[in-house]
Amino acid sequence: MDRAIEIAVNGQTRKLLVDDRRTLLDVLRSDLAVTGPKYGCGLAQCGACTVLVDGDPARACVLRAAKADGAAITTLEGLADPSAGTLHPVQQGFVDAAGAQCGYCLNGMIMTTVALLKANPNPCEQEVREALRHNLCRCGTHKEIVASVLRAAELMGEAASQASEASA
Amino acid sequence: MSLDYGRITVFRDAAGGREVFLTFDTFGVAVGFNGHVDLGTGIETALSQIVAEELDLPLDRVRMILGDTSRTPNQGPTIASETIQITAVPLRHAGAQIRRELMIRGARRLNAPVREVSLESGEVRWDEAKVAYESLIAGEDIALRLDLEAPVKPAKDYKVVGRSTARVDLPAKVTGSHPYIHDVFVEAMVHGHVIRPPYHGRDSGAFIGHSLVSFDEAAVRQMPGFIAVVRRGDFLGVVASRADQAQAIAKSLPVEWLMPPALPDMASLADTIRDQPSTPRICDATGDFARAIDDCDTRLRRSYVWPYHMHGSIGPSCAIADWNGGEPIVWSGSQNPHMLRADLANLMQLAEERIDVRRYQAAGCYGRNCADDVCGDALILSEAVGRPVRVQLTRSQEHLWEPKGAAQVMDVEGGLKGGAFHAYRIDSWYPSNRGPNLALLLTGRITPEPRPSDMGDRTIIPPYRIPHKRVTVHDMAPIVRAAWMRGVSALPNTFAHECFVDELAAEAGEDPVSFRLAHIDDPRTAHLIRESAEKGSWQPRTGPRRRREGRMAYGQGFAFATYVHGAFPGVAAAASAWVCDVAVDMETGEVKLTRVFVGQDQGLVINPDGVRHQIHGNVNQTAGRVLKEDLSFDEIAVTPQSWATYPLQTFPETPEIETMLVERSGDPALGVGESAAVPAAAAIANAIFDATGVRMREAPFTPERMRAALGITGDALPAAIAGPARKEGWRERLFGPRDGRRIGAKGVGLAALLGGSLTAAAMALPIHRAIAPTNAPQASNFSPELLARGREVFAAGNCATCHTVPGGAANAGGLAVETPFGTIYSSNITPDKDTGLGSWSYTAFDRAMRRGISRDGSNLYPAFPYTSFAKMSGDDMFALYAFLQTLEPVRQETPPAEMAVPFNLRPLNAAWNALHLETGPLAPYESRSEAWNRGRYLVEATGHCSACHSPRNALGAERAGADALSGAPVKGWYAPPIAGAAAASFGWSEAGFYDYLRTGIAGDIAAASGPMAEVVDNLKELPDADIRAMAVYLASLSEGGAEGQASPTTVDAAAVAAKATGLAALPDATQRLFDSACGACHEPALGNLATAARVPLSRSPAVRSSDAEALRTVIRNGIEAPLSLKTRDMPGFAGELSDKQIDDLAAYVRARYASNPS
Repeated sequence: MDRAIEIAVNGQTRKLLVDDRRTLLDVLRSDLAVTGPKYGCGLAQCGACTVLVDGDPARACVLRAAKADGAAITTLEGLADPSAGTLHPVQQGFVDAAGAQCGYCLNGMIMTTVALLKANPNPCEQEVREALRHNLCRCGTHKEIVASVLRAAELMGEAASQASEASA
Repeated sequence: MSLDYGRITVFRDAAGGREVFLTFDTFGVAVGFNGHVDLGTGIETALSQIVAEELDLPLDRVRMILGDTSRTPNQGPTIASETIQITAVPLRHAGAQIRRELMIRGARRLNAPVREVSLESGEVRWDEAKVAYESLIAGEDIALRLDLEAPVKPAKDYKVVGRSTARVDLPAKVTGSHPYIHDVFVEAMVHGHVIRPPYHGRDSGAFIGHSLVSFDEAAVRQMPGFIAVVRRGDFLGVVASRADQAQAIAKSLPVEWLMPPALPDMASLADTIRDQPSTPRICDATGDFARAIDDCDTRLRRSYVWPYHMHGSIGPSCAIADWNGGEPIVWSGSQNPHMLRADLANLMQLAEERIDVRRYQAAGCYGRNCADDVCGDALILSEAVGRPVRVQLTRSQEHLWEPKGAAQVMDVEGGLKGGAFHAYRIDSWYPSNRGPNLALLLTGRITPEPRPSDMGDRTIIPPYRIPHKRVTVHDMAPIVRAAWMRGVSALPNTFAHECFVDELAAEAGEDPVSFRLAHIDDPRTAHLIRESAEKGSWQPRTGPRRRREGRMAYGQGFAFATYVHGAFPGVAAAASAWVCDVAVDMETGEVKLTRVFVGQDQGLVINPDGVRHQIHGNVNQTAGRVLKEDLSFDEIAVTPQSWATYPLQTFPETPEIETMLVERSGDPALGVGESAAVPAAAAIANAIFDATGVRMREAPFTPERMRAALGITGDALPAAIAGPARKEGWRERLFGPRDGRRIGAKGVGLAALLGGSLTAAAMALPIHRAIAPTNAPQASNFSPELLARGREVFAAGNCATCHTVPGGAANAGGLAVETPFGTIYSSNITPDKDTGLGSWSYTAFDRAMRRGISRDGSNLYPAFPYTSFAKMSGDDMFALYAFLQTLEPVRQETPPAEMAVPFNLRPLNAAWNALHLETGPLAPYESRSEAWNRGRYLVEATGHCSACHSPRNALGAERAGADALSGAPVKGWYAPPIAGAAAASFGWSEAGFYDYLRTGIAGDIAAASGPMAEVVDNLKELPDADIRAMAVYLASLSEGGAEGQASPTTVDAAAVAAKATGLAALPDATQRLFDSACGACHEPALGNLATAARVPLSRSPAVRSSDAEALRTVIRNGIEAPLSLKTRDMPGFAGELSDKQIDDLAAYVRARYASNPS
């Protein structure tokens, strides 16, 4: 059954008519051409499809789009500053520490890291590994990804302290 | 200054015309063309560095075109770590040629002697004067024939090559703007979904291509988005406007296949492989092995076994094809675009040159996955419908059908004479080939006979000085579909060589590294071994050290190999040495790889960071293969369909990794894509030996195998907790999984108790007076207020759920309800004259509802909860009757009940009624509040909660008194206690009940699922006051639980208890299944994961139920509640996991999370 929904994707309000059973991942990729989130398993096992729903991480392959009605969705495309064009510190961290080989899992790694650093701005390496334990990478880029997360935490810390100095 | 366009090109002549390797034009940009592709390894960056170096251009003025068949030279598949070592060679010479041409032209322009000018940053310079390259070619089209003798820049002058360079593709990848093949959009494209045969992952035998009996297109033609069903032999696919529509149509299409023949016994893998037809090929027969082995004073015979592995690309393959009137364009993530083009030409019987394969990056593949297969799929479908067709394989299709990394058996014999390695024999069986394109096989374009190949000989020659050798590879065809995977046969062959030499060192009482060095002649190899041992902190020993700290045993292992690729005797790629540390848990058998040091000699290093990344990737991926990965089979085919049953290495499991790159900038660059994988298995096995004294000769080294080797006993689960396995019903055996008409994912449990038959069944014997048929009043006779009330009663009674078959006509009945006494079908409650309630008077309706007597006088089965409805008020009963007359009439006969003797005799029900039926509406308690009395009425009468939540006696009657609402298994599900101490201890409160009934969620106490989700969805028709009233009443039934939320201590205690039980279970395949399939949502790594389970497993009624069936039902069907609820979905696993796996998983979860299943 088709249902009218309204979601805000990366700040832009989208009104859609979607079949009840379609996943948010499918609707984002097929209807809205938002292809940062990737289809990996369809069973919430790998994390490649991760998006933020009202700021919380979600596996878009097991979330029906109709259930996200009224929510604000942030995807990989929505992280960078649209006006300045600068990368989000987490994206910059993954560039700095080369946190990808094929990069197909990268969306999930970055989006999960954004959520992690919001909850824990200064994770130790062990905490990073635990936070990513349900994100799969087949290329074996784990070492660079962990380094990228730690680098991202560093960059976010710097940005936060600059912001507080500027406001002081 | 604007220049006339000009360019300079280096080409070679090929059969199909000129092949271009490099161009530089007046835009100042060099474009390199390479027939190999970037598999996610960063090869694009390294190739760009090579061009930038030879041309003295800044890196950002270099572009690479990789793999497009119309633009790049045919350089074969991207395999064997050849890209830098072999296919980049012409690119380098082409760069040197252009550089030379620009140098001569620049010198002429500057009036300078050629030998005195220098080239830098895109300029030719002489003293102070300089000229940009672009201006030297303006208005000209210069073509140079490729000259592989053209002198290249000496390594000592390198400025770009040999320096770490950031990946050129990363910035676009981190923003999501890099287009993977999965992200390509082609105008007017439609979507295909393939339906693969049941012989998952097999590619030889007469049945291949000849197993499709029939399909019924008419059954799906009306489905939304339908465009076509396409069949070619065993190739079957559907095309629809949208991908989800194509998938839904494919799922609904009735298809009949022949049963495939059985596989050989894959459980006895080594024997099976040895028994397959094979042709021995001797690769080295130095000396006289047969005589020498008898001369040995120490002699060992060993067998090493390597399992089947999956490439496991993280993104299932995808392609788009546009038939384009016979000039096809194919957008592909292929590893080998030119080889693919030849396959597609064969498939469609076209000349190769007419096909344009455009290559995009895909998920990393590490060998041959389904990337080429899906191009065949898309092209067949596109030709059939005349439009561009995109095909995205599912995770399951990729898992089942990708050509696997083959299993391998190595039988080894050898010995020492006077402490030296004197004789060595290895026989290696490698059942693999190049993985013919699936579309060619399915359509019958190529015949499905077994096709042997010769790739079992990679690194089959041991690196040691051994005077007497007999090295034999047994060339053979695949058993299941197989093709090259990272390390190919070199990895297993090295597993054998390097474990065996370690065993000999131990026999000789020598340090394993010293023993190796004593048998190495090549100084470059010896250097690598020595340096790696030293820098890798190798600890010399002459036998296993068995270091112990508590339950942990610690060990260190060494292994090395030179990866040899290409046709025998092959070409050497980089050589790698491992020094690794393991910790073995001597109680559970778990092996943790804690540190890996890799020393590698790859000659010239193009991009040091790129090389290190490849080493890290090889270590992490191969560690998972060695410790965890093992492909499973059933009698017929490959079985894993997701990561649930093929778990990958996770972040917490990955080791620390250190690297050492041997400095050899003067030597040619060697391939690094696979080398560091090759020593992995042997190094880890040797470390386990050092820790425990046990030799592991069959990978993977799982906890189960380790426990067997170490003699650790202990059952994974006590049988009492595991409980009896679910017995498969005959219906499922005959008809497969239950279809929609049977009890399905929706409405299962409640339906199981309701239903009955309000209409007369032919076999029933009426013993009550019949009430004459009469025309029921028109809906217009009733007031809107009355109908509104009737709607609420209808919702509170959840009538629609049980009287509707999922996907069928609303309220027309027919839902099958299996009771202990037989199968009955719910009745048609629409106002249809003949088959529904259209000829029922109110009197007849009232009697049926209150006394279970049908209009014709026959008794209804007590599965229909008239014992509750008897308590309804007259006003509500009439309102319901009125409302039912407003439903859409549907003509649909109710199937007769199929009851077992003696329950097929309805007179028995009359006797039953005499025992159990208390008639009459509820009388309110004056001492209680109005809300409480209203709640009691809704719970006890209209809502008939007891029908599911009260246990039943042997005659099927609800137990009353203290047992009322104390929880009961409902066919397939479990309705938990909602009254009494059990409910109170669970933390139920008025607020909790209210939230639950209003939204489906009560904090972290409960989330509605299965049939209860339907109930909550129907309750949305009821006003808040009624929901509140039910909560007030239910809370009063919980002793001491009337107020307050669950105390945190209760939850913690449950968690602690669960943890304690969990520890009792030894790690095994079921635990790995839980971790990989369930963990992400049920033990989420981030607390606020919006798709995680709402309720901890330790609180789940299905987990705590007295029998495991409720949990098995959830695992099979998943959870998909109506959208009005705030609950979350869960995928079902019925099509993926076997009954045994579901039984084991349910037992594991209950043991771990419900220490005392209630």
